[in-house]
Amino acid sequence: MLRPNFHRLPTTSRWIVILGVTATALGFTFTFNAGLNAQIASGAAISIVVLGLTWLTGWSGQISLGNSGFMACGGYFVGVWANHHAATPLVISLLFATAAGALGGLILAVPATRLRGPYLAGATLAFATVTSSLVYVFGNWTGGPTSQLFLNSLTTPSWFARMFSGIQASLNSSAQYGADLAICVAAIAFLFMSNLFHSRLGRAMTLVRDNDVSAELMGINLRRTRTIAFVIAAALGGLGGGLQTLLNGSVTPGSFPLTISITLLTLMVLGGIGTLTGAVLGGLIFAVSSNVINWLCSTAGISSTSNLGTNMQGIVFSVLLMTTMLIAPQGISGNIVRGYRHLMQRFTSKIDNSPA
Amino acid sequence: MGGFLASRFMSDVFNGVANGIIFSLIALSLVVVWQSTNVLNFAQGAMATFATYIGMTQVEHGINIWLCMVISVVVGFIFGGLTERVLIRPLYGKPDINPIVVMVGFLGFLQFLAAAIWGNIPRILPSPFSQVFYTSKGHTIFLSPFVVFQILTAVTVMMIVALVFRFTTLGLKLRAAALAPEVARLLGVRVDRLLTFGWMISSAVGSFTAILVAMQNGSALSPSVMGSVFIFGFIAAAVGGLDSPIGAVVGGLLIGLVEQFTLDYWQANMAPVMALVVLIVVLMIRPRGLFTKNTQRRV
Repeated sequence: MLRPNFHRLPTTSRWIVILGVTATALGFTFTFNAGLNAQIASGAAISIVVLGLTWLTGWSGQISLGNSGFMACGGYFVGVWANHHAATPLVISLLFATAAGALGGLILAVPATRLRGPYLAGATLAFATVTSSLVYVFGNWTGGPTSQLFLNSLTTPSWFARMFSGIQASLNSSAQYGADLAICVAAIAFLFMSNLFHSRLGRAMTLVRDNDVSAELMGINLRRTRTIAFVIAAALGGLGGGLQTLLNGSVTPGSFPLTISITLLTLMVLGGIGTLTGAVLGGLIFAVSSNVINWLCSTAGISSTSNLGTNMQGIVFSVLLMTTMLIAPQGISGNIVRGYRHLMQRFTSKIDNSPA
Repeated sequence: MGGFLASRFMSDVFNGVANGIIFSLIALSLVVVWQSTNVLNFAQGAMATFATYIGMTQVEHGINIWLCMVISVVVGFIFGGLTERVLIRPLYGKPDINPIVVMVGFLGFLQFLAAAIWGNIPRILPSPFSQVFYTSKGHTIFLSPFVVFQILTAVTVMMIVALVFRFTTLGLKLRAAALAPEVARLLGVRVDRLLTFGWMISSAVGSFTAILVAMQNGSALSPSVMGSVFIFGFIAAAVGGLDSPIGAVVGGLLIGLVEQFTLDYWQANMAPVMALVVLIVVLMIRPRGLFTKNTQRRV
């Protein structure tokens, strides 16, 4: 029987699905205009961060409100590095961003893995605040409060650039190229995580989440497992933040505000906690959200520069977050799965009842 | 004596206590809710700001400032009850994560809604007392009539909460409902009403705190005015232990002093970092805070 739970598919099918979705998305970027491609690019970057959060919350049962802090780690590292070493290959820069995020996660994991529930949520929230004030503390490197850090152009592998835009394009000059790049990076992250969900670590993680006592009895090191979960989520946060910085070409303290953490939570909950499909949906929702909000505002006759217009996106996202959690906590993908099972059940039971 | 009171050390102590008592109030309001309903109210700061906006913008319509403060607190009182009934009640018995996510969503909602209604431009509130520092024999002592008012009213509010919880039948019922809801229900306590009442008290204390914060010298009412105050308040509550009202007060004063001394002797941006360091150190030693009795983990 076809199983709708994506992460339960066999490895080969999973890879085929991910590569198929990636190829389709890449194909679409050739038809989109620059504005839409820029949104697709930031959506892909955000989906990587959501992926980390959904892994942490859905699979290891820990919650984090500090993902904007991990994004800032990655983003600022890429920014500062690029200002000093202009011709760094893009792949290296992104690996550095991932490592910077992972380092932030490792530091936070030391206290965080001892904490549960609201203590953990509050501590991670405090971490996010602290990263933004550290940007000011190390103002000599980060450029401090006002000065933006404009990045020098980063070199990409020439075969990659040729594949998508003929000439040696830079990220800032071609939105389509940026979108393609972001989609490819996201695809690699999703491939990696889809395997991790299945691994020994992934199975250990769910057991730690569901029943830590029996996990401990089975010889799983609780603190080590939780720390690894945290570091992986933080690394994905750093990667997403670094990618976004590269796409924007600049980074300021305002690039990673605390409200991003609320946005990330909304995307994760809307898509469905703990599922890869949910993370993809979250990125997609983020990509189209500003268009939908603008359309809503113009339909309702709200000026986009008025107080209500500028805060509309935040209000809509927060309301969606609350209502989804209260009414349908499994999110879009969870409810599709449930609906599908329901349908299959009715279908099969009808067959069973029919006379042979 | 005047020289000592005007010294850098003492001015830091005064400032630290004045800020710390604010953190204590926020921590106390978090503890009241946590004790009764096991929910950490992430929207506490935003709820308080919203209530303060409703009350204090009446000043612009020429209403007496004391009356506006009363309006804010009453609005906060009602607001807390509504929040518990509508948002929190469906979540009892659900996993830990659900109320956290809902309250974070509520925080975002209120903050963006406040910005949508009243705008992002900060509003300076009139202060009922002078903000000018006292002087003694030519030395400036870093206490103003407003700071004294702030400390005294904060202590009064804490005393009232403590007295209600300790010495009244209502307080006894509240504690019973928090400690053993099933037994309390069997003995005829209307537990669900009391949970709502706990939220109302907490929210009223929160709005009173927001008024004080917005009136402070150099501060003004803005949609995110309580953002960092809430984080310091949470750190204070977690340091003291979310189960302990005394811990909340002590934790608040501790964090206030740490913040002020870091700010003066190092730099302002290090203050949240040091507060987080204090939180981490305390939680590493005692994962449930300084003032809670250690409970055995389920086996």
